Amino acid sequence: MPEPVGFYTDTTVCIGCKACEVACHQWNALPARNGGQVPLSGQSYDNTTRFSDVDWRHVRFIEQFPEDRNGGRWLMMSDVCKHCVNAPCLEVCPTGSIVRTEFDTVYIQEPVCNGCRDCIAACPFGVIHISAEKHIAQKCTFCYDRLQVGLPPACAQACPTRSIQFGPIDELKQRAAERVAQLQAQGQTDAYLYGADDSILGGLNSFYLLLDRPEVYGLPSAVQARLPSRSVWPASLKAIGASLAVALGAFLSFGRRRDAVKATEGHTRSP
Amino acid sequence: MSPPSAPPSPTLNPYVADPGWHGYIVWYFFLGGIAAGAYVMAALADLFGTAADRRAVRPAYYLAFPLVNVCGILLILDLNRPERFWHMLIQSRTGWPMFKWWSPISVGSWGLTLFGGFSLASFLGVLAEDGRFGLRRFSDLAARLRTGWTGRLFALGGSLSAFFLGSYTGVLLGATNQPIWADTTWIGALFLASAASTGVAAMILADRLVGGEVDHRALESLERLDSYAIALELILLATLALSLGELGALAFGRWPGWLVPWVVVPFGLVLPLLLRRLPGRGAAVLAALFVLAGGFVLRYAFVYLPTAFYLVPGHHG
Ligand code: SF4
Repeated sequence: MPEPVGFYTDTTVCIGCKACEVACHQWNALPARNGGQVPLSGQSYDNTTRFSDVDWRHVRFIEQFPEDRNGGRWLMMSDVCKHCVNAPCLEVCPTGSIVRTEFDTVYIQEPVCNGCRDCIAACPFGVIHISAEKHIAQKCTFCYDRLQVGLPPACAQACPTRSIQFGPIDELKQRAAERVAQLQAQGQTDAYLYGADDSILGGLNSFYLLLDRPEVYGLPSAVQARLPSRSVWPASLKAIGASLAVALGAFLSFGRRRDAVKATEGHTRSP
Repeated sequence: MSPPSAPPSPTLNPYVADPGWHGYIVWYFFLGGIAAGAYVMAALADLFGTAADRRAVRPAYYLAFPLVNVCGILLILDLNRPERFWHMLIQSRTGWPMFKWWSPISVGSWGLTLFGGFSLASFLGVLAEDGRFGLRRFSDLAARLRTGWTGRLFALGGSLSAFFLGSYTGVLLGATNQPIWADTTWIGALFLASAASTGVAAMILADRLVGGEVDHRALESLERLDSYAIALELILLATLALSLGELGALAFGRWPGWLVPWVVVPFGLVLPLLLRRLPGRGAAVLAALFVLAGGFVLRYAFVYLPTAFYLVPGHHG
């Protein structure tokens, strides 16, 4: 059995070159949209702007500059499917299309998906989209085909600054913890790891070293990223309560009438 | 530039993508609710009611099966790969049944199928009772479905499957990470009450407009029952809004959420209650029509509620 693997993304060394996006497109033969014409978004250097059916990696650009343009900073982060340990998409998928692989990654089996889109509703990170060509759910495969032949995912291999690191998840977590300690020792006290512990969905196999709150990067907090099944029992019990209330109403309404009818029949029959 | 602004509440998740459950799903929730609500009341009338009540609820058995078929078609059309709809029930790789008890969409697929079976039997039953399509010779068998112990057991099973159909859709919306849907666990209960009120309203309409000779006291009791379901719906709606805390004002203060306090409550719930106090068939028919329209708008508002909160513009599935 292979070891569980993951991505550790150190956002402090990301330079926003988008080599990961390009490598992902190239390896997975993801087409360009709009005839290759990219409309400028007006959002910094980010013209990808979001995940889509063909953008499984997305480099975010966050400009943090004060009015006087003094002492600002530029945050960059290459985002991807988190391959959650307790993956909401996998939990809800009704066809069994979404599976956990032997590498502990989350994978959509294309021939099984029927495009119900419950995984899209469930993913707290907005990762999954429907392919315009194949009409099924699409997202990062963690380069499952490459892993099977011992190659690293295309994005990690292409990343020139080692912002995206690939490897056995335990090793990555240790490396990430050392890096946080190093940064903090250098005075970067806001450095922390997002998704490395089990507080978000039991842990994220793609976790990040961040310098600001998750929402600044467009990432949900631990309370915003929830397991869909958490609500099934409470909601079902309430629905059962409402069903009992409806049944009671019907019983009172129909039952009382039946008694009244019986009583009238009794009267008419009595001499 | 800092694209993602702060979320409007600590729990609401605005970073999700839109699953695109829109038009077909609104109609499915609405029509499935009517089928479930009408069938529940008919089965309960079979269990607890008089002969006249049982006559008054017969439209439910005519309605439920065709409606549930329409529902099935809508759901299949809503899939991006409709030809693979059966993957919901059968594992395409092994041929074994596909069932995840913790996933409402999976349980719902089976629940809908089960309800289809009950409603088909009842549909054939009323056709036989009425001697339509040469089915008269099965009328004894059909009568057994509505009387005696077999009738009681059948009504119990049928009503349970209908209760499920009327409510699981709301449970399903909650079992996601979508804004508002995931922030309350009351949508299933609310949808169930709405299924009951719209289901009874559909029966009343059928009785009043095409029903022939229906005992007026049985009709009045159906109308009382509908008013009861509406009152329950109002209570559940208020409970749901309270359960959202400060998010409640946000959810129901902007499009399409405002449809609930400004359209559903006054016109779909309160007005029918008032109309029922007026004498005459016209007022009763109007009340039923408003209940049905209110039920549709309620489903519309709830299905589209999350779209008001997505942070990334144009973030579609
Ligand atoms: S990030 Fe979304 S798509 Fe990826 S495993 Fe988690 S829930 Fe599934």
